[in-house]
Amino acid sequence: MFPFLLKALWRKFWTLLFVSIVSFAVIHLAPGSPSQIDPLNPRFTPQQLERYRKAFGLDQPLYVQYGRFYKQFFSGELRSFKDNQPVLRKILERTVNSLPLFVVETILIWCFAFPLGIATAVKRNSLFDRSMTVLVFALISIPGFYLAYLAIIFVVQSFHVDVIGLRTFGREGVGAFSAMMDRTWHLVLPSVLGATAGIAVLSRYVRSQMLEVINADYVRSARSKGLSEDRVLYLHALRNGLLPFVTMLGLLIPALIGGSVIFETIFAWPGIGRLGYEAILSRDYPVIISINFLAAVLTLVGTLVSDLLYVLVDPRIRL
Amino acid sequence: MPVKRILFLAPTLVSFFLILSYFWVPTFEDQARGDPVRLTRYISSSIGDASILNPTLSADSASSEVNDLVFDGLIDRDIDLSFRGRLAESWRIFEEAYLAVDESHRLPDGASVTAERLLAHLEVARRTGAPSLRLVERIEIEPPKTVTEKIEEEPEAKGKPARMTPVTLRRPARIKFTLAEVDQDFFKKLDPLLGGYIRRLDVSRFLDPSLPPGVKARAAELLSPVEHNPVIIFQLRKGVRFHDGHEFDSRDVKFTYETIMDPKNLSPRVPDFEPVKSVELPGPYRVRITYKHLFQPGFESWGMGILPEHLLNEGELRREALALGRDPEKFSVRDSNFNRMPIGTGLFRFGEWKTDQFIKLTRFEDYWEGPANFREYLIRIIPDLLTTEVTFYAGTSDGYAAQPHQVARLQNDRRFHAVSFLALGYTYIGYNMRRPIFQDARVRRALGMAINTDEIIRYILLGHGEKTTGPFPKQTDYYDPEVQPLPYDPGGAAKLLAEAGWKKNADGVLERNGKPLAFTIITNSGNEERNAIMVIAQNAWRRLGIQVQALTLEWAVFINQRIDKGDFDAVVLGWSMDLNADIYQIFHSSQTGHFQLNFVGYQNPKADDLIVRIRQEYNHDRQVAMARELHGLIARDQPYTFLYVRKSLSLMDAKVVRMVPGPDGRPQYLPFRLNKLGRIGFDFREWVKTPTPVLPPYRSELSQS
Repeated sequence: MFPFLLKALWRKFWTLLFVSIVSFAVIHLAPGSPSQIDPLNPRFTPQQLERYRKAFGLDQPLYVQYGRFYKQFFSGELRSFKDNQPVLRKILERTVNSLPLFVVETILIWCFAFPLGIATAVKRNSLFDRSMTVLVFALISIPGFYLAYLAIIFVVQSFHVDVIGLRTFGREGVGAFSAMMDRTWHLVLPSVLGATAGIAVLSRYVRSQMLEVINADYVRSARSKGLSEDRVLYLHALRNGLLPFVTMLGLLIPALIGGSVIFETIFAWPGIGRLGYEAILSRDYPVIISINFLAAVLTLVGTLVSDLLYVLVDPRIRL
Repeated sequence: MPVKRILFLAPTLVSFFLILSYFWVPTFEDQARGDPVRLTRYISSSIGDASILNPTLSADSASSEVNDLVFDGLIDRDIDLSFRGRLAESWRIFEEAYLAVDESHRLPDGASVTAERLLAHLEVARRTGAPSLRLVERIEIEPPKTVTEKIEEEPEAKGKPARMTPVTLRRPARIKFTLAEVDQDFFKKLDPLLGGYIRRLDVSRFLDPSLPPGVKARAAELLSPVEHNPVIIFQLRKGVRFHDGHEFDSRDVKFTYETIMDPKNLSPRVPDFEPVKSVELPGPYRVRITYKHLFQPGFESWGMGILPEHLLNEGELRREALALGRDPEKFSVRDSNFNRMPIGTGLFRFGEWKTDQFIKLTRFEDYWEGPANFREYLIRIIPDLLTTEVTFYAGTSDGYAAQPHQVARLQNDRRFHAVSFLALGYTYIGYNMRRPIFQDARVRRALGMAINTDEIIRYILLGHGEKTTGPFPKQTDYYDPEVQPLPYDPGGAAKLLAEAGWKKNADGVLERNGKPLAFTIITNSGNEERNAIMVIAQNAWRRLGIQVQALTLEWAVFINQRIDKGDFDAVVLGWSMDLNADIYQIFHSSQTGHFQLNFVGYQNPKADDLIVRIRQEYNHDRQVAMARELHGLIARDQPYTFLYVRKSLSLMDAKVVRMVPGPDGRPQYLPFRLNKLGRIGFDFREWVKTPTPVLPPYRSELSQS
């Protein structure tokens, strides 16, 4: 186990280094420059622009900038071009904001996708299965932002309540429980909408996975032993059918820093997705590259965790 | 079977819990109508968040909205766009002019020039009432002196950093004139009196030949034989307090200027204040600003919000740096926490800022003009246009910048006011005049005549725009309403092209000397309006028999690879502008190089002369006369096809009105006014929200068509 871990960490270290170089280079090689260095502000002289470039360290060769960037990153001194605030604090704040959305969304996806997938597999080719297939593909195909607009207009017009932001705006001086329920309500729409596509996709995987095991020999043996249909399906078949999904737990980790640009923008949610998107638009290099790097770290951690989980749940695999 | 039960129960319980939360959320009725506090709050919504709440450092509109409320400038614009004193009570603008003494020349009476003789000669002329000295209040001698200046050496090659070189210059004795008002032609008028002395002056006589070549141009500028120094004296308002109770005085003005000019702070306002030579404080309520040269647009810069010196001076910054554990040498105003919780003298004091959620301001009870009616001013940050509308519609915001179709939706709703005003800026098609086909003004005019601007305004802007004919903001006096827009006349366009030698060949394509009339029009991607115009233009020109390709490019590529390098034929673009009449960068022939803004390569000596004279003219009427002449000139030359100015739209809750004391002492409700710029908050102090609408909904049209 330990040699495996060490080896894996060593390999991931090199991957990370490679990712850090590539992502740094890509951002800097992309056309455009930070919005502070706006080439169309009529009164700026080239000398003044040069001063900006110098202050941002953009006048130096890329490898020097690279070194400086990661030195500042690890010492926590890195600051955003936009507002001069420390980048790591900004990212942390936004991640904390996005976290509840992500958690509720994941709970919804997993709670709905599995029952749906299993049910459609068990009753395959029935009217239920076929109508679910149509519904699921419809949900996958409809653009999320469109659904979101429909949902907002529907809820606002029929229930007359606020749906955007973290909480009802301007509402102060209510009890802790009311405040919590208010926050929960504001999670409902964005997380349901964020989860729809996830439920649709995941339930299809679950369905095909279940179909595969239902036809397996050991399931037939279980049936021939005279076990009840429920026991066969939910105990024998389900266990093996769900094995691949355990690894998905690990892959959830990088999604922590992903955030959803579209839903965060529509719902005025101050999350990490919006931070990244707005940073890209204004070419705020420190923020973009830091988010990139952290996402790479979390992805690598995620794959490691899912490797380990697989070992844990599948006795056939030994490291 | 427990597994089966879990599979059923889990989604049910989660859904139940989420839906349950609905019962703890207040409805809009509870929030907007049932809450008396709501009437004391003005809530606006903004698409983007502020970045830095310091007027000397911010450049984005969201930050400006907050900074305008928290800080006051010395001046601002009145309802008719004339200047109005804020922190300054009054001001006076005059001039100090200098004339170098070159002893190698002779005066008209044959005597060789000395400072004393020159002075005596001028004094005699003044006493006898020479008209050229009419504005002169005082004439004196400035002895020769040595000045040491750090000069930015011109870089040897492009991309190399410029070096600062200290240079010692010997300035000859000079005659100093104090003029009652600024006169850019003062020396021209004076010259005949001195028998052509001024015309013959040559700067190279004062230049040390041993100077390094990189600094010569700048040194010659510094030693210029004649110099105009406009001077502004501001008389400041007494008894104005910052939000922390500290009294405002002239030191704050000087400090604000120094903050901008300190290279460490990287202020985007530097270009506006670069022409300032010195800021002196003759008293605690007097500021004397001297400019290096004639630059009338510089006056407007004093509308800049004034920072509190006592909170940001060197000692305070040092203390803050040490408290934060940062290097005090490198710590600048840009790093200070002040920019997240500013203190100014403005109508509202800063309250709270939740990044990308909201900014809260509370009214300043000690405001010098009296406190605002609203107790709080909140800016919600809602990045999406539809949700902005939903929020507004539900009564949880009081106003927002709306899209034409959104205004159309609420056209007849009694709950809303709609406000429409002309934007500062215009959209145009520019022609690269380095290309032979565009060098003929007839061709440019013909291309413009082929485009139906009325239709563009009707169908693309849904009517929310106005035609424009020239380079100045339509709201200002500089814009000449007499200049007629190009007629939409494809037949006339074809005739003009024929005059210019372009005839249709067998395939119906225009050609001259066997060469077809073919070019490419480009614009940036992501702007649907410009893309639509590009296609309309392409279509219109094709019908004339021109082969036109249309191309959309990503912004960075568009600017860096094409516009900055002058590598394009025709382009659809827009300018957003300031209120002044200075169009030097955009139309002066010296600005046609790479990375400069006259990228269409417009050159006209007459226009050059006017452009320079306009920025040097301090008399409004004379400036307007010249600007109108220039407007006509550029409209004749058609370097651009000037298309339209957009109208910006705002929707307002109809319960928001202006409250002023009536003649009988009782409050009187009036529609709110916006100045010609549509700036909200122009008279925001008087705004109030009533429980029920007290005025019928209105639509204020503030255009000057």
